[in-house]
Amino acid sequence: MKTITKVLLLGSALFILCLTPGCKKFLDKPPQGEMTNTSFPTTASDALLATNATYATLREWYYHTGGYPILDIMSDDARKGSNPSDQLANVGPYDNFTINPTQDGLDRWWTELYVGVKRCNVVTEKVPLISMDVALQTRYIAEARFVRGLIYFDFVRAWGGVPLVTTLEPPLRLARASKEEIFNQVISDLTFAAENLPERSEYASKDYGRATKGAANAFLARVYLFRNDFVNAEKYALAVISSGQYSLEPVFTDANGAKGASGPEAVFEVCALPYDGTENGGDQYGNTQGVRGTPNRGWGFNRPTIDLRESFEAGDPRYKGTVINLGDTLDGVVILGDGSTPDITKDSTGKIIEIECYSRKVWTPGSNTATQWGHMRRLMRYADVLLMAAEALNENGKPAEALTYVNMVRARARQGIPGILPDITTTGQAELRDKIFNERRHELAMEGWRFWDLVRTGRAGAVMGPLGFIVGKHELLPIPQSEIDNSEGTLVQNPNW
Amino acid sequence: MEEKHLPKRKDFTKKARLFLTVVLVISSFSFSLAQTVTGVVTASDTKETLPGATIMVKGTTIGAVTNIDGKYSITVQSGKAVLVFSYVGYTTKEITVGKQTVIDVSLDSKKTNLDEVVVIAYGTVRKSDLSGSVGTIKTDDITKITALNPVQSLQGQVSGVQVTSISGTPGDNPMVRIRGTGTIWGADPIYVVDGVILNDISFINSSDIQSMEILKDASATAMYGSRGANGVILVTTKSGNKNDEKTVFNFSGEIGIQKLAKKIKLLNGHDFAVISNEIAPGTYNNVDAVNNTDWQSLIFHTAPIYDIQLSASGSGKKNQYFISGSYFKQGGIIDKSNYQRITLKFNNTYALSKYVELGTNINLAPFSQQIAPDVTWAAYRAKPTIEPYYSDGSFAAVEGVGNPLAALEYSNNYRKGIRGVGNIYGSVNFLKSFTVKSSYGIDAGYTKAESFTPKYAVLNSDGTTSQQNNPLSDLSKSWEDNLNWLWETTLSYQHTFGKHFVDAVVGYTMQDAKSETMNTEGKNLIRDGRDFWYIQPIYIYDPTQNVNTISSFKNEIGDYYSMISYLIRINYTFNQKYILTGTFRRDGSSKFNEKNRYGNFPSVALGWNISREKFMKPAKVISKLKIRTSWGQVGNDKIPYLGQYSTVESLITVLGTTPIPISAGSYGVNGNNDLKWETTTQFDAGLEAGLFNDRLSAEFDYYRRVTNDILIYLSTPGHLGNGPGSLVPFNAGSVLNRGFEFNVAWRDQVGKVKYNVSIIGSTLHNEMLSIGGVTGADSQILGGYLANGSFVTRTVVGIPLGSFYGYKTDGVYQTQAEINSSPHLSDAVPGDLRFVDMNGDGKINGKDRTNIGSPIPTFMLGLNLGLEVYGIDFSVSTQGQWGNKIFNAKNAVRPDPYNFEQNVMNRWTGPGTSYTEPRASFGGNNYLPSDYFVQDGSFIRIRNVTLGYTLPLKWSTKIAMQKLRIYVKADNLYTFAKYTGYSPEIGSSNVTSNGVDYGIYPVTSVYSVGLNLTF
Repeated sequence: MKTITKVLLLGSALFILCLTPGCKKFLDKPPQGEMTNTSFPTTASDALLATNATYATLREWYYHTGGYPILDIMSDDARKGSNPSDQLANVGPYDNFTINPTQDGLDRWWTELYVGVKRCNVVTEKVPLISMDVALQTRYIAEARFVRGLIYFDFVRAWGGVPLVTTLEPPLRLARASKEEIFNQVISDLTFAAENLPERSEYASKDYGRATKGAANAFLARVYLFRNDFVNAEKYALAVISSGQYSLEPVFTDANGAKGASGPEAVFEVCALPYDGTENGGDQYGNTQGVRGTPNRGWGFNRPTIDLRESFEAGDPRYKGTVINLGDTLDGVVILGDGSTPDITKDSTGKIIEIECYSRKVWTPGSNTATQWGHMRRLMRYADVLLMAAEALNENGKPAEALTYVNMVRARARQGIPGILPDITTTGQAELRDKIFNERRHELAMEGWRFWDLVRTGRAGAVMGPLGFIVGKHELLPIPQSEIDNSEGTLVQNPNW
Repeated sequence: MEEKHLPKRKDFTKKARLFLTVVLVISSFSFSLAQTVTGVVTASDTKETLPGATIMVKGTTIGAVTNIDGKYSITVQSGKAVLVFSYVGYTTKEITVGKQTVIDVSLDSKKTNLDEVVVIAYGTVRKSDLSGSVGTIKTDDITKITALNPVQSLQGQVSGVQVTSISGTPGDNPMVRIRGTGTIWGADPIYVVDGVILNDISFINSSDIQSMEILKDASATAMYGSRGANGVILVTTKSGNKNDEKTVFNFSGEIGIQKLAKKIKLLNGHDFAVISNEIAPGTYNNVDAVNNTDWQSLIFHTAPIYDIQLSASGSGKKNQYFISGSYFKQGGIIDKSNYQRITLKFNNTYALSKYVELGTNINLAPFSQQIAPDVTWAAYRAKPTIEPYYSDGSFAAVEGVGNPLAALEYSNNYRKGIRGVGNIYGSVNFLKSFTVKSSYGIDAGYTKAESFTPKYAVLNSDGTTSQQNNPLSDLSKSWEDNLNWLWETTLSYQHTFGKHFVDAVVGYTMQDAKSETMNTEGKNLIRDGRDFWYIQPIYIYDPTQNVNTISSFKNEIGDYYSMISYLIRINYTFNQKYILTGTFRRDGSSKFNEKNRYGNFPSVALGWNISREKFMKPAKVISKLKIRTSWGQVGNDKIPYLGQYSTVESLITVLGTTPIPISAGSYGVNGNNDLKWETTTQFDAGLEAGLFNDRLSAEFDYYRRVTNDILIYLSTPGHLGNGPGSLVPFNAGSVLNRGFEFNVAWRDQVGKVKYNVSIIGSTLHNEMLSIGGVTGADSQILGGYLANGSFVTRTVVGIPLGSFYGYKTDGVYQTQAEINSSPHLSDAVPGDLRFVDMNGDGKINGKDRTNIGSPIPTFMLGLNLGLEVYGIDFSVSTQGQWGNKIFNAKNAVRPDPYNFEQNVMNRWTGPGTSYTEPRASFGGNNYLPSDYFVQDGSFIRIRNVTLGYTLPLKWSTKIAMQKLRIYVKADNLYTFAKYTGYSPEIGSSNVTSNGVDYGIYPVTSVYSVGLNLTF
């Protein structure tokens, strides 16, 4: 019986032990090796990590219009590229406006942009709660609002009004805000950024790549151009110019090339490392468009059209700075091109409709794909700021000042070669408007602006109509069908889709 | 005739003999009333005498053993003495001596014991008192199949249970489904080995198992609460027999040869050249002069399999023990694949006093494994026109798929580890009816894997490198450890008041599990030999990345959860006729957020032993008749522990005028803190009958299981910021499984011939009842992805889980005119498959894809025959299933010139040449997922044929054996199937890829000889 007593005592002791409140904790198994959202960001160093993360979005493949450079492909500047069958069903329809709401890429771009929004909202919502250096805190928030402004600007141009998310816990169903509301958010974010960010020169060199006052002003100028608010466009473009922070690269190809990375012309640039893989610091934007075949730099999408090739003024060095032809030698590398891509494609009448060539704007020195991942995309160049200033000034009846800026761009393009690209002298508003517009095409070709420039200036129907553009429909992309389905009908499709 | 104190020892020392003699002399003097009883002990079934049977005088240590003729003699002190007759495998009998001097005893074989005891959750119950649906398989049937995992033995043996091999890779575990497929993630049952809850039982040797009980209905499984929804398999391992006061040794050894059961019929070199020329004229100049390589013959060969077990069991005065060791080795029919396992088992009970018992069940199982690269698909695709080697003996490049022989040559992939599962327990019996039992069990494992690939290159004939090219040697290693402990304390009460019998148990359990992994990878090892397979943190240049890399290292958590549970069961029987069982379990799990932390799982069951009613007395032919019904709710908690949490994602941002990577972190994909377990509500109605003195026994069940809140990963609205392709788990679906099960057996004896026939079968209706309701786009679950990115399964409401999805075909276009006259793909040409315009919109496009078959069988059957005569035993088990389809995915992707299956020889080559086989092509429209690739998955398999011979006892005892049996057998002897692949068993651990044959390691046929000894 003694044994029984011992055993019973032992047993009941253990039993009671477990009915104590200590047992409640037994069921707490927090994630291991990972922070949860409730515990981050809570310190000054967390705030920095969260702010840094807002820039990481800009290097994501999907951030670049869903992966493929569909904006240029839709425009009259570029065709699908790669070999004829590659991504024919996925990317091909952008070339002739036969896309539909389930088109490949739309959903990726949409959802990736919201990943970016969420990362910004982490900063705008959580960093203000952290007790830390107030100046730094303000800068972090301004950096995040800058990136958020960029993203909603992409949204509003691509789709018009979209669900507006500025908090971390949006409802599961959220209707589209109006186009105005999105623009207001963009302007509010960028204005806050412009007012609170340091100038580029005020940052340490290790912080290069962060949002600056100059970048915010430049984007405000662009936003106002889209709104046809030329007064404000002029104001912000001139603010960038008068800041003295920027200048044109002496050599045109450096404006997008490796030598000009972090150079004076880069108003806002996405820094990247020459490693295969976004997680390794690479950016596939260049690789997607890189020379296909030999050397193998990439997939070869976004091929300059015959129309673009032929539109350059005689002798314009920017032609060579925009188009890589087979046989060219760049940085010591001979371009041989792709075996599965015809060198020349003719239509049934024998007219040449496509020539195998590649975008020079993403070229980086090297002969393998990894180095092509190191291309640093310029989201804002000083040349663009000058052209925006010129456009706004012309619209505001200041042609003389406008000429100054547009001719700065032409002068650089001239590269010191006599007899080409003479200064523009016309002061007639309409004529100058066209000249500046044309200058934009040649200066900024293949950089993703042409389609939107055509749309915002009302030229889209005339220029892209022959390609399939329907006025009243193709100014905006269709809301991805998967999003409409996912919203259970809360999202309403754009007109005519 | 000898009389002595037991246990008998052969090595009695002289002292002991002297002591014994003294004791005997004293005892015979002291009790003059002693009388001598003699007799013969026989077996009731075979009528043979039983030498070596034990006769004990109850309550004493006096005993005797029958001699070779089954005769015994024993002296008892009075007529009140009770003799206890026992023999291994037979029911013990007690007889009061009275005035008898000759007592002949016939012992019943345990196998024929009608009212057997069934193991259930946290206890046992007499079969007649059982109100739930429980299938049982005993040791003899468990050991029939030579397999690593004892669960293989359930194939075709228990109704409602589907066991399907996922592959024949030595060491792989099969897919197990009990009563259908109840969920998308984790549809396998749980296992409870001697009270320890586990996810698999591959660490147990079949010979160590006494019985497996398959708990099927809610009444049986609800005691396992949030884990029982997909069924529970209770495994009871062997223990020492109280009556075996001598140590009983058992040896079983088996050696077998495994063979590829069937080769796939592929084209030979000549035919392949002919077809290639048809597709791309001029590929082969002379089709009669091409090489013919049979790649399948090159990679498959026969391989041995061994399974040896030795056990010792018995009991002492206060203890019972079962100790065993086993060795299992399975060679692979593909080189560089094999598995070996040692098991050590110690089951002991120790009686501290009459009321207190301590016990242990300990299993230790070290294993090692070599894993071959996946070369079956390469052998299937490789062109037969390519010779495996160049003239200089080096590996030839094989376009598109790589040379399978080179892949084997350069593969070095090993895994080893140890699994320890066991528990210690103590139980106290008090106030007669109460027992408190507390058991602490653990499941601990450690696994190490290493894989080394040397620097090598298989060159194309022009000297350039082919796709098989590893410019830097690389070594990866990983370690995993896990510890899972379970502490369960139960209080049980058993009492009979007149006609009332109450059996109740209440309990409290705690469980905690954690596993952790570590992976590291290094490149460019200084030497290739195994002595150099260690990783150092040195920088090396990686030309593929154009960067210096350092050995990578990663350490992560795996499983991590804890549970607290409360349980109760009351089993009430009135007059042995009416049975009421109620169970309830409350589980708390760390996997769920506090608001969903606890779940309640109730069940009730009723049973009625009609045959015990008076009005059944006249129906003498009916020896047993019982009806029973049950209802209950059971859960499934197999969800990732992190599912409820929104975690912070680590990112890299690049900044600086000299750009460098810097750390960043932000919110990643949202978790779902509303997650909870899946709940299965099951209704069951069953009937059990025994006729003709139980020679015919039958059991029928109908069940209906509806699983709600099944875990589905859904895409969420983009504005939540979860990103492209990100899926979040939701409890967002429900599945129905219903069916009939039957189990009919006839066993009888005609003269010396004992025979039995049993047939088991089950029907299954599986249907997705709802999906989504959280996010609108997710009215479907896609799966079965092929190498070309297309998917071939799509689950929607109203059809079985993981149903195949694609175009319906209606023959082959014969002429262009025929194409023009009907909806067609824009680039269709004569000889192409004609896809059906399902939605009738006049176009053929993705919208015409439809449900083209289910991978889930609708009917399963097992048929077993057994025969015993003159010591010869013969048995045949067959197993079959019907109604399921297989998607022949390995045949459905052919972007490059891969070899074809032979059906291409019947291809369309011009109008009228074929109406079923399209023209030969590489890629193109005919490779869009369609029912052309869907094949009938029905089969009947001769699962096992065994022929054995047991030496008559009178001979075996001469060589000191109680039993000596030799046998020959064949597993998977033959399969009748239409399917063209290696085996129609195409399982998958992923419900949405079930039945999709990507080209698996084939399941083998095994021919073996074996020996069983008991001594």
